[in-house]
Amino acid sequence: MTSNSPALQQEVALIELVDRVLNKGVALTGDITLSVAGVDLVYVGLRLLLASVGTLEQLERD
Amino acid sequence: MTPTEAIYVYGVVRGGTAPDLFADVGGIDGRSPVRLVVADGTAAITSAVPLSEFDAEPLERNLKDSGWLERKVHAHNDVLAAAVGKTVVLPLRFGAIYTSEEHVREMLRASPELARRLERLDGLLEFGVKGVLDAAALRSRLADNGVDDAADTGGRAYMLQKQRERGIAEEMRAFAAACADASHERLSQAAEDATANPAQPSDVAGREMLLNGAYLVRAGREQQLGDAVRELEERFGADGVSYELTGPWPPYNFAGEEAES
Repeated sequence: MTSNSPALQQEVALIELVDRVLNKGVALTGDITLSVAGVDLVYVGLRLLLASVGTLEQLERD
Repeated sequence: MTPTEAIYVYGVVRGGTAPDLFADVGGIDGRSPVRLVVADGTAAITSAVPLSEFDAEPLERNLKDSGWLERKVHAHNDVLAAAVGKTVVLPLRFGAIYTSEEHVREMLRASPELARRLERLDGLLEFGVKGVLDAAALRSRLADNGVDDAADTGGRAYMLQKQRERGIAEEMRAFAAACADASHERLSQAAEDATANPAQPSDVAGREMLLNGAYLVRAGREQQLGDAVRELEERFGADGVSYELTGPWPPYNFAGEEAES
């Protein structure tokens, strides 16, 4: 089926989880307001972080 | 309740749901038990969280810590996952935090649409299917097909080579679009509802995501979605496309208003 490294599969699984929990689901505004812009930023940051981990692993393999 | 704590809400279930469904999962703070807060016909899945971690200011700081966020995202999902396949659950987005259980009850009473959305999701499970193209494999396959025997040299060979590369890039774009459409259509046939989310950027291994789909499948008919995935693997596997099936998930993609129409 797929020939992905386990690290890559973990990245994909984490991004899929983060996408669902932070971007989907019913958005209710609770008493403590969390800035959506802040979460988006973090989400992007997390993806960049994951991409850089992947790049490092790629460099180590090469 | 002391003013050092707030109430985190994970999702909503029917009012009559047995609280021991969540007996084995810990709260998002790593220690507080998960409790149901009931009002009218619905119940909020909640746990207490320390304000030192979840009040607006520390929360803003913590959200920038990817390790913290990763742990909390897992914890949020783990609580909801305890209900998946056992009873219908409406997942909330991360970060619905209330200062008291009474405020959670007020929210439930003021949100009659939550009960309607719950009923619509009864007996349905969300699955994810990603279609991923090994772009390098398809490119070399297309390039091999285009090789001619003429021993051109110099400028003419260079021009032909450039032409061929442009042709290959065009062919790949057309294939990716057609494969994504055909895959989503086939998978949707096995689902009650479906949504194609934007594909995530291609990863470092040169793999390009064609399809980032979510499918709402009736419990007991999961096999039909699995069959559709296998059929697509047979159809597009030789072109370098692989599929990843995940789930069942809490129905995050089908919980919101946009799915209501």
